[in-house]
Amino acid sequence: MATRAKSLAITPARLVHLGNRTLVYVILLAGATFTLLPFIWIILTSFKPASEIVRIPPTFFPEKWTLKSYQTIFTDPRVPLARFYFNSTFVTFMRVFITLFTSSLAGYIFCKYRFWGKNIMFVLILAQLMVPFQVIMIPEYLILVKLKLIDNLWGLIIPGMVDAFGIFLMRQFIEAIPDEMIDAGRIDGASDFGIYWRIVLPQLGPSLAALGIFTFLAVWNDYLFPLIVITTTEKRTLPLLLTWYSSQHSTRYDLTMAASVLVMLPILLVYVIFQRWIVRGVALTGFK
Amino acid sequence: MTNIAVPVPIRVKQEKGANLRPWQRAFVAGSLTPIMALLIFFSVLPMVWVVVLCFYNFSPARAGSGFMDLGGANPFVGLDNFKAMFATSQTSHIFRLAFLNTIVFSVLVLPVNLVITLPLAILVESVHDRLKGFFRAIYFMPVISSAVAVSLMWGFIYHPQQGLLNALIKAIGLTPPRAWLTDPNASFLGVNLAMIAVIIAYIWQDFGYNLIIFIAALQGIPQEFRDAARVDGANAWQEFWHIIMPLLKPTLLFVCVMTMLSSLQVFVPFQVMTNGGPAFQTEVLVKNIYDYAFRYKQMGWAAAISMVLFMLVMFITFIQFRLLRSEVEY
Amino acid sequence: MRDKILILVLIITFALTACGGKATTAPPLQAAPTDTPVSANPPSSGEKVTLKMWSHSNPAFQKANELLIAKFQEQNPNIEVKFETFEYDLYLQNLETSMVAGTEADVMELFGTWICPQYASGGRLMSVPEDVMTYDQAKQIFFQATLDGYYCDGKLYGLPHEFNLENGGALVNQEMFEKAGLAFPPQWATFADLIADAKKMTAVEGGTMTVAGFDPITGDGLTFTFLAAILEQGGNYFAADNRHFNFDTPEARKALQMIVDWAQKDKVVDPVVFTDESNSVSTAFWTNIMAIGFIGSWAAGEGLISYPDFKFDYVEIPTYFGGERHFAADSGWGKVVSINTKHPVEAWKLVKFLTVEEDSAVIYNTTSGTIPALKALVANPDAVLAKEPWIKPTFDLLPHGQFIGNVTDRDRLFYTIVYPTVLLAMQGGTSVDEAVVKINNDANAMVDEAK
Repeated sequence: MATRAKSLAITPARLVHLGNRTLVYVILLAGATFTLLPFIWIILTSFKPASEIVRIPPTFFPEKWTLKSYQTIFTDPRVPLARFYFNSTFVTFMRVFITLFTSSLAGYIFCKYRFWGKNIMFVLILAQLMVPFQVIMIPEYLILVKLKLIDNLWGLIIPGMVDAFGIFLMRQFIEAIPDEMIDAGRIDGASDFGIYWRIVLPQLGPSLAALGIFTFLAVWNDYLFPLIVITTTEKRTLPLLLTWYSSQHSTRYDLTMAASVLVMLPILLVYVIFQRWIVRGVALTGFK
Repeated sequence: MTNIAVPVPIRVKQEKGANLRPWQRAFVAGSLTPIMALLIFFSVLPMVWVVVLCFYNFSPARAGSGFMDLGGANPFVGLDNFKAMFATSQTSHIFRLAFLNTIVFSVLVLPVNLVITLPLAILVESVHDRLKGFFRAIYFMPVISSAVAVSLMWGFIYHPQQGLLNALIKAIGLTPPRAWLTDPNASFLGVNLAMIAVIIAYIWQDFGYNLIIFIAALQGIPQEFRDAARVDGANAWQEFWHIIMPLLKPTLLFVCVMTMLSSLQVFVPFQVMTNGGPAFQTEVLVKNIYDYAFRYKQMGWAAAISMVLFMLVMFITFIQFRLLRSEVEY
Repeated sequence: MRDKILILVLIITFALTACGGKATTAPPLQAAPTDTPVSANPPSSGEKVTLKMWSHSNPAFQKANELLIAKFQEQNPNIEVKFETFEYDLYLQNLETSMVAGTEADVMELFGTWICPQYASGGRLMSVPEDVMTYDQAKQIFFQATLDGYYCDGKLYGLPHEFNLENGGALVNQEMFEKAGLAFPPQWATFADLIADAKKMTAVEGGTMTVAGFDPITGDGLTFTFLAAILEQGGNYFAADNRHFNFDTPEARKALQMIVDWAQKDKVVDPVVFTDESNSVSTAFWTNIMAIGFIGSWAAGEGLISYPDFKFDYVEIPTYFGGERHFAADSGWGKVVSINTKHPVEAWKLVKFLTVEEDSAVIYNTTSGTIPALKALVANPDAVLAKEPWIKPTFDLLPHGQFIGNVTDRDRLFYTIVYPTVLLAMQGGTSVDEAVVKINNDANAMVDEAK
């Protein structure tokens, strides 16, 4: 590699390079602004009184800061906000944990064992991967009706307990675990489940985290499935809160924007804290 | 000391291809049975059921005479549902519009997304580590947001009088369109304005995902390759085409397939932002299925549409694999 | 260590399951006694019964229902009413999915026009028991037009709250009239007078209409205008069998042309900027972007609650063609009982209290801004007018209304078939002839599909 001579001379090449660098930053900042602007807009809007929101032309920063929109939502007796948070948390955590468990266990078995019917079963798993939820949502609903799981949080959890994508992903990662390690465990007298629990699982840290995050995001923000399954207010998950104040005959933008902020807040907070892991996890799942 | 016999361990090393010991068989059976049962019951069974439903005129409100409420009041109609797709009734017309709009949406989203994310990924990758993390974090924020919140947000941004977008456009001195989401006569380059509006909002939410994947892929390219190219006198553009692109091919294939697949399944903005309007210009297949299954209770017809969606998904994925797989390995 | 953490988390999760999985209902919102409710078998009198009641989430209607529930529970301490509301768009879909699954409420607020074609025929509703009220008794105390929607195949399936009148009245913005030097409250002799006033108050800035003089564009408003205009000419929108439609008539064409002219000739409303989706009358009127907003009286009720300082009035509008007034009215909101209810006696007691008792009706109608369904309240209107004086002009309209008829799927006809096509015609996207034919074909296809 040629050494780069350090020179302080302002050469044309240097200027071009500087110009390029500046351009790069300008573009990146423009992109960041475009990304953040809508967020900022609705946060500001949520602090404006209703009368200011409907003003033409609209104001950007609130002329009058108010918490009225949030107050209305918090004190609305028809909106059990805490209940919605609980429902979302419960459904999401259950699904994440169960999915991590079933995916890693099944991934392990499909990877390290040979048994009768293995190929057929794998094809079935592939099938779930190929068929989008929207295609099977009608029968899914009908099955839940027959099982009397409509309007029940378990109706949201049970169909999602086995995730083909998760099994696939875990299988990929478990491939990387050398067979010798497994055999060593066997020689040491571990049971099969013990090998899974004590040898395989600990190695899967980052990939489990990745799958967990991925599933968490998908379930927390899921709208279509709860829309079909949940019929009473108290069983609603958070995304179903959002359309409360906006419907055909009337859209209260002040309340809708405040509700949007409330719904996005927890996940934004989680994101800000765990951002690095989340991004890394997504890259892992995507880039395998 | 050589040739000392090693005592044979009680548990024998599993050779690939050997049969399972009974306890292992128990483990596999015990673990897989509930898992496969769940999978079959909640994934495979519905797939079969959708196909069956296509051939019936089924409403969940009517009790049929046969198995699973089929037959009787929910009669078998053979290929009628599929024949109806070519009919002249409003329902069929809306279906055809939905089909077209779904394709238009997916075909437009992919290139716009790539054109934004790939160059942006390269730019982000080229800055210092701390800044890299900063920008990455910001760009990914829309991805984690609830799609409903995003749709409501953008719905308000697009509001003709109170929205941010028109206010900004007027502030620069240009004349904004009268209405972004409700004007059936407005279009740009042949695409309806409402559809464009949804595309913008959707890409805003979604681009962070591909960005992250591209950044990770770029980081996987050994720096030596790029340095060597520079030393050989290549400029940035040539470096891009001859070094980066070939190495990114597998990622590119993955991203293309995933982006198109996701865009074919989009529901939320089409219901929350535009409700299929104006004049069904943003009606897409998933929304069509939802409306007819759960609002109008025509589940046989909706199942037929689901099958069309499925075929579309398979077809597009197949084509992408064909087109892009040819030069994957390096 | 990792094992222990994992086990701990699993235990906590399962603990949550135990409480969360069986998570039932939030505590009731009224001051009701906190005994444990619910027995599956019809209890002997005196035992605690819990009823579930559903309605849509229009704030005025919500408040009305809540007030009445509080009163009911005071009078009936052994009955607890759990009240839930849903936003309108979700309400219909929810009703459908929950009825299929059997999770619907005992008492529900339904829209009369929906009942016969969509609910009663499916066997999902309980008919009114004879000892609660017979149809003849009902006919004596309720207006005929309000009852028609609830009476199917010789049986009565519920009792109405309101006379749904989306015709003949409009909200008017006091400041705009006064600024334009026009008489307020307006005294229009003919519809042309109304349009003339509207023209003076329409404002256009930089190519965009900032104030609409007259805005009839809502899903209900546009459709009702269209139907009323047909009826005023002596026409009919039904075919001979009163199930199928016939919109391919000269009356329909004339009606549609009149509506299109408002947008294209008189230019009192911009049908691209002012639509039901982006600037619906019931919300947009209160933001000062329209002078005259064509909408039902309930919007006034809602406005008073949400915008109490706004200066407005609700006035009668002239007939479209100067002749006798004729319009079609929905059978409005009322209460029904599910066929699956486990407490029919208590459920009907609640329904009767809500709809038949004059005191209840006064509270309901004045709080929700609706017109009474009970004849008595219109014959002796003082109690109602004391609280909602602006509703008086509508009383004169009541005799001219007829029930809209069995329209198969009312919301679909209004919001998917008539409204979008009329709107498209207003926007110039289709000719009047094509629009009329399209509406005709689509409506009839809907009837055929439903068979």
